[in-house]
Amino acid sequence: MDPQMMVELGALTLVGAAALIAGVAEDLESDVGSQSNPNSQVQLAPQMGYLHRLYNKAISGEPASYPFYAAIGASTALSVLSVTGNSGLIGVFFALVAGAFVTSLIHGVYATTSYMGRLASQSRFGQPIYLDVLRTHTPVLMAHGFVANFSVLLLSWVLIAQHFSPFPFVVLAFIWGIALGGVGSAVGDVHLGTDRYYQDRPYGSGVNAAHSGSVVRKAESGLRNSIDCAWFCSKFGGPLTGLGFGLVVYLHFWKEVVVTSWWSALAGVIIVVIFVIMNTYLERYSRQRYGTYKEEAEE
Amino acid sequence: MVWFSLLYWVWIILGGILIGAGVHFIPVGGAPAAMSQATGVGTGTTMLAAASGLTGLIGAGSAYASSGGNFAYTIVMGGVSAALMISVLAFIANVMYVYGAGVPLASAKVKYDPITKWRQDLYVSRGTEGHGTPMSSFISGIIGAFLAGVGGALVYFALAASYAGISGFNATFGGYPAPYYVSLAAAFAIGIFFLNCVMASYNIGGTIEGFHDPKFRRLPKSIVASLVVSAVGGLFALLIVVMLPGGI
Repeated sequence: MDPQMMVELGALTLVGAAALIAGVAEDLESDVGSQSNPNSQVQLAPQMGYLHRLYNKAISGEPASYPFYAAIGASTALSVLSVTGNSGLIGVFFALVAGAFVTSLIHGVYATTSYMGRLASQSRFGQPIYLDVLRTHTPVLMAHGFVANFSVLLLSWVLIAQHFSPFPFVVLAFIWGIALGGVGSAVGDVHLGTDRYYQDRPYGSGVNAAHSGSVVRKAESGLRNSIDCAWFCSKFGGPLTGLGFGLVVYLHFWKEVVVTSWWSALAGVIIVVIFVIMNTYLERYSRQRYGTYKEEAEE
Repeated sequence: MVWFSLLYWVWIILGGILIGAGVHFIPVGGAPAAMSQATGVGTGTTMLAAASGLTGLIGAGSAYASSGGNFAYTIVMGGVSAALMISVLAFIANVMYVYGAGVPLASAKVKYDPITKWRQDLYVSRGTEGHGTPMSSFISGIIGAFLAGVGGALVYFALAASYAGISGFNATFGGYPAPYYVSLAAAFAIGIFFLNCVMASYNIGGTIEGFHDPKFRRLPKSIVASLVVSAVGGLFALLIVVMLPGGI
């Protein structure tokens, strides 16, 4: 095997691993903070008379907030690098840590103002602002955000250092932030929204629109908070999100590393066809395994 | 004095139209999809199209740089990379629906899937508009992402080729390998991408399942809107070089 390709594949493995960790941390952060799609239920609950102790921050959709965190982190890292002038491994590492740290501080500010603002606006429904929830949840989601953002910065840096992409660091981190938010919001949120928030409803069915807002408020012990939700989603939703984002990043560059020129376009098409075939089997399996919800009236 | 090639402007407009059309193909469930209440991938229209299309832009950027500005290779790689992203995303989301939520993949807009001919309405749970991404939505999403990726790559190609011709823009900053024009073209391509995504998402208004959805018939309106918005946006993107040092 070509030695250059071996180095590139090694770098790509690191990139894929960083993407996997980014996906897991991103999804768990959105579970603790109740960001993105299922937040509609948390937001609706007090209006339907269900007061809760869940964290409520919808700063924006995940695919909008993560690119901006990533861009802030990348700009900070570049600034730190330009000041220290140390472009060795340790210098870059600490610059990326500094970038992710600044990002998590900004994340914390947004989360706090968002939580206070959203719940203050719901005082007419009798929803209290729990300061202990704010105190315990905010550092947890900042920490998850730190891990996610550091991983995005790391993978973007490795991609640039290995000349996988000609795009500048900030733009590349921005675009992978959008992709990360997209995967996190499409995959992990389903576990939180369909399963965890409606655990009292029968499993194996979509949430009836008539039940919107009646989220589960009692936990295994005591009242449920959003850290319980992250614990639950870390069993399936988080890892699957990580797998999704890891695959997106890894396969994207794998097709350009292993083969070159027009063959990489062909490799991309073949991978798409493989996913179509796997989806056909998955769809058929789900139909045969779970069956229909209603009987056929007449044909 | 002509400051830009008219052909580049046409490519930006065409790219914008393709992005706007591609967004209509992509199955978007929006927030209800996270509660398994709607068919499609659970995130916003703009964001899903941007997530896949801009991943395509990364592919197009690499292809443009590695092939030395080969037109066909750049746009095909843009499309294929975007299609790859959405096929992985939709498949993993379907794994989540089947094993995490325990629901079959079904559409509520059609009785039979146009591609597999499988019955749909019996598999839709009570009080929902379908769940997951069944086959026709899946294929529709791949087509949509391909179109959006090709559109984004066309915009990027036009801007990169236009900016690369300006003296001084081939320079690099410090020890950084990427020349100035790559950064500028990528930033403006992202901007034009978002312009068209947002226009299309207003036209869709919430959720869409793909080409078999009745809302898909609104596509012609979106094409007109994309044409206008890309023409104006593209003109600004191309004329911005006039204001930069070395522009004229």
